[in-house]
Amino acid sequence: MLKLGIPSFFLLILILQIKGDDFKEEIFIKPLPPSHLYVNFHFITLVNGEESFEHSHLAPRSLGEIMSRYQVEELHLTLTEGQWKHKQWGYPVLDAAPGAELYAWFSPEVIDVDAHWKKLSSTLSGLFCASLNFIENFNTITPKMSLWPTGAQKLKQNYTSQLRYASLPREIVCTENLTPWKKLLPCESSHGFSSLLNSRMIHNTNYHSIGVHVRRTCVDNNCLETNLEIKQTVALVYDFKIINSMDWSFRKLFGQGLPGACPLSSSSKIYIDTTSNSTYRFKLSPEPNNIVLSQRGGSETELAVYNINNSVMMNIVAKYETKDKIFVNIPPPLSFTRYVLGYGKEFGGIVTELTNNYWAPIDVVLLENAPWWLPIQLSSLRINGEAESKLIMSQYYSPGKSRQKPYHLELLLRLPPKSTTTLTIDFEFVFLKWQEYPPDANHGFYIGSALISANLPTAKNYTSLPIHGNTFDSVINASKPWYPMIFRTNGAMVSLPTPDFSMPYNVICLACTVVALAFGPLNNICTKELVLKAAGTPLSLRQKIFNIFKKKKD
Amino acid sequence: MSKHDTKSETEEANRMWASASFVGVLIIIGLPLWWKTTEVYRVALPYDKINAFETDSHYIATELTVLANDDETAQEVARQIEKAFQESDVIKLKITKKIIPNKLQHLLDSVADEQEALEDVGAAFNIKKHNTFYVVQRKPLYQDVWVGTERVAFFRDIKACSTIVKVLEKWIYQPSVLIGARSEIADAARQVRFPSGPGYHVVLSVVHPRPQELKVNFNARDAIEDYIGSFVDELTDLHNFTLKSQWLHLLDFDFEATEVAGGRLAAAERLPLLLTRLEERAATHVSERPTLNLALYVVPCRLAPLALQRYDKEIPPPVQAFMSPKWGGVVFGNPTPEECEKQVYTPPVNLIMGTFLSQLRKLLGITDKEAQAGARLEALRRAAPRAWERDALLRLRALQQLASAETSLRSLAKLLGEISNIVINDEVGASINLAVESIHRATEHMEKADLLEAHRYSQQAFLAAETAFMEPSLLALLYFPDDQKYAIYIPLFLPIMFPVVLSLKNLLLWFRGKPVHKEKTD
Repeated sequence: MLKLGIPSFFLLILILQIKGDDFKEEIFIKPLPPSHLYVNFHFITLVNGEESFEHSHLAPRSLGEIMSRYQVEELHLTLTEGQWKHKQWGYPVLDAAPGAELYAWFSPEVIDVDAHWKKLSSTLSGLFCASLNFIENFNTITPKMSLWPTGAQKLKQNYTSQLRYASLPREIVCTENLTPWKKLLPCESSHGFSSLLNSRMIHNTNYHSIGVHVRRTCVDNNCLETNLEIKQTVALVYDFKIINSMDWSFRKLFGQGLPGACPLSSSSKIYIDTTSNSTYRFKLSPEPNNIVLSQRGGSETELAVYNINNSVMMNIVAKYETKDKIFVNIPPPLSFTRYVLGYGKEFGGIVTELTNNYWAPIDVVLLENAPWWLPIQLSSLRINGEAESKLIMSQYYSPGKSRQKPYHLELLLRLPPKSTTTLTIDFEFVFLKWQEYPPDANHGFYIGSALISANLPTAKNYTSLPIHGNTFDSVINASKPWYPMIFRTNGAMVSLPTPDFSMPYNVICLACTVVALAFGPLNNICTKELVLKAAGTPLSLRQKIFNIFKKKKD
Repeated sequence: MSKHDTKSETEEANRMWASASFVGVLIIIGLPLWWKTTEVYRVALPYDKINAFETDSHYIATELTVLANDDETAQEVARQIEKAFQESDVIKLKITKKIIPNKLQHLLDSVADEQEALEDVGAAFNIKKHNTFYVVQRKPLYQDVWVGTERVAFFRDIKACSTIVKVLEKWIYQPSVLIGARSEIADAARQVRFPSGPGYHVVLSVVHPRPQELKVNFNARDAIEDYIGSFVDELTDLHNFTLKSQWLHLLDFDFEATEVAGGRLAAAERLPLLLTRLEERAATHVSERPTLNLALYVVPCRLAPLALQRYDKEIPPPVQAFMSPKWGGVVFGNPTPEECEKQVYTPPVNLIMGTFLSQLRKLLGITDKEAQAGARLEALRRAAPRAWERDALLRLRALQQLASAETSLRSLAKLLGEISNIVINDEVGASINLAVESIHRATEHMEKADLLEAHRYSQQAFLAAETAFMEPSLLALLYFPDDQKYAIYIPLFLPIMFPVVLSLKNLLLWFRGKPVHKEKTD
């Protein structure tokens, strides 16, 4: 009886899953002692794979229409303000480059990927009110090793040729991006967790990032059928200094309490990472529904879980017991920084420092992506000061072309244990045409983040979902041989030689005047004759008039 | 003396040649070169053809066949129709008169049902051909005139002449609507129907403001594909349609409803605001084509039943709905108290989709047919439009697209003529030329009564004209006007040209062999 019961129960779940869309919402909160708090919102819509996008139920039709029109298999878009500090805060659930970042895999049927990519970015630009329309061929690359699709894909398929990646580090993210983002949610901002996202509070953070991630996921382990997963994320890092106390509550963070779950969601859960409770004691009220202990890759995480299923206003409060305590920061297994070298307006260099704090070597792929106006030379690549390094296991370099293609360098490195690896690469500054300078050119030029994709051997500081997981409960006890993660380093800024923009007019006017001045005497010498005039000859009328003026002068 | 003379003469010649070379370099080579290099690129446009457009002279020819039992009736009916349409400059009827063959006449007189009679006519004549119409005599008719879904009208006898003329004017050909489509001023029908286009998206949005309180049993996909699908399939000659559906949850709206007997009454001035709220969420802006919005608003139980109008004496209609011209329609789904109690609402799909269909007909340009005395219009049994309504639509769209293309081209030509520093690149030139050519072809086909081809070319002309008009490259160099060009180059040209131009006089004199200096003659 029992044996019969369980499969039929699973079958029922399966049928429920297949029929129609499913929407889930989650919040993950992790205190980052001593001074920050990480809040991560997840809104997941699962669409049955066979369902075409012309008819939508919970999924946003606008996004679906874009996906199907441009035949996009997997899409990742993030709009971020601020810089995630990996060394201090550990790892986020999903890392994002500062500014706007967009990458997508197109379906294998797409032949002219570049044309689809251009149209996709322009349409998304309209949908999210972001300047994604500035994505052109000259700032788009096709990563070879660092990015892999996270969704279910057909085997034996060339993924990389269908991939395009671009980032716009100059993009400023604000309310006008959040509002259209919220409209993609079935509950919009009226009910559920998304009602917490009011822009007055969430733009008052150290770091905020909104994202849309669309991919295909397997319905079951056999993976005969696929679902389309639309995941919308918001990552916020609050500074206790800004909210004026260490004790936090929903009212303090979002300006209001939680008005309950979205009536359309099948599950609304709040996870609070209470692992730091052992060092920094805090008390949660109201009490969580249950506490889950998760062991994953050698690290233990304690999660307090709240199941929200009513529409009663609630406010989760954390009160710290000890306030002033010295905190010792244990760095995560892999950390990195990046900065710009050089002075003057001729040469410079980018330095990327990768630190492996773990006792075993870590393999990483580093992707440097330099715009065409910042030519990096592969010959100037030095690793720990050496031109020939044993650390490089594989490399890919594609030189840029002026106004057509960015410089793209990918290195597969094996970072030795307990060491710092320094990569230096030189670049020279390029003169731009005067119309190519952006407005306020003296502000400087942004260089996008480098991508570091690593398979971490340990889950310390690791908060990401496993690759097959849709929701946050999939992290519980999800031990794996390795933990893949794609990091973004901090961006950088250089100041290119910037002319005075009134120069062309000045040059034209000055040059014309000089030419005119030189031309007068030349013309006179060539065409005029000096004639001696005998004294006493009768004066012509003209000469008489000239003489009047001469006399007056005398 | 002679030696001195020859020397000064050669010097004179040298100077003159130098002066001539200055003139040559600067005026003959320099000026044209400067003019050419700073010129704006402009493709030659067919201005004379565009100016020769006469929008008001377009007309459509159409074929009408009068079938009567005897020659006298046929003559009289044809004469009356001809007289009525004589003055119309927008539609030209080619009337042919025929006497019904005996066999068919016998059939027509014997069958009881009009529909059967229609089939008999269909067997004898080609009523499937576009832009044709048959006026057929049928003795056993209860009314003067009967019109069905095919391109056939029955009339009883010679006394029905005036009714036939009225029916042809008000239902079948509608010259007043055609004139409205041709003119620049929008008439009532044009204010409602969507502007022409190659295709439309039809989006059915099910608005469900309170999903937590009520479950709605409604399959939006099946509903739109079954009902709207079979309607728009008949219109593929005109436009491409894409059918879509979506659910919009939790879109709450305050109708400011007042309690009336047997329900609530929505404030009429709030309804336009509902469209704004729908537009916010309906995501119509991502489609590349215009969207026809159909919204089913499921009224929350605390408001149901919601009415839009006060019905004091008459019986309220079964469905509450309203329409917004050039936007779409909204139908209210009012759950009954029993359904509210059970928390499950099953909307009456037939009624709702029927309402949407009638809204869609108007939005696409099929006008309502007002009743005519003595004439009977067979009610629609299927979603598909009547065959002669399709013909009317084709005529209407062809004329409208033609008129619109001509107007766009004319204003574009005027604009480009007025502002001389707009770049006209090859694409714009090609679009304009294509539009002009298509207009000519469409006109030819219209006059030959070849309706499908005429419509196709008029659509091509309309699209090409729109593309040319909306081309962003037209704005490219608008901000580099002539005065700036002169401001930059005058410091160069003025001081250089002054001595060169003055030397022209001496040069001309010398070339004519006249002495250059007066002093020398002394």
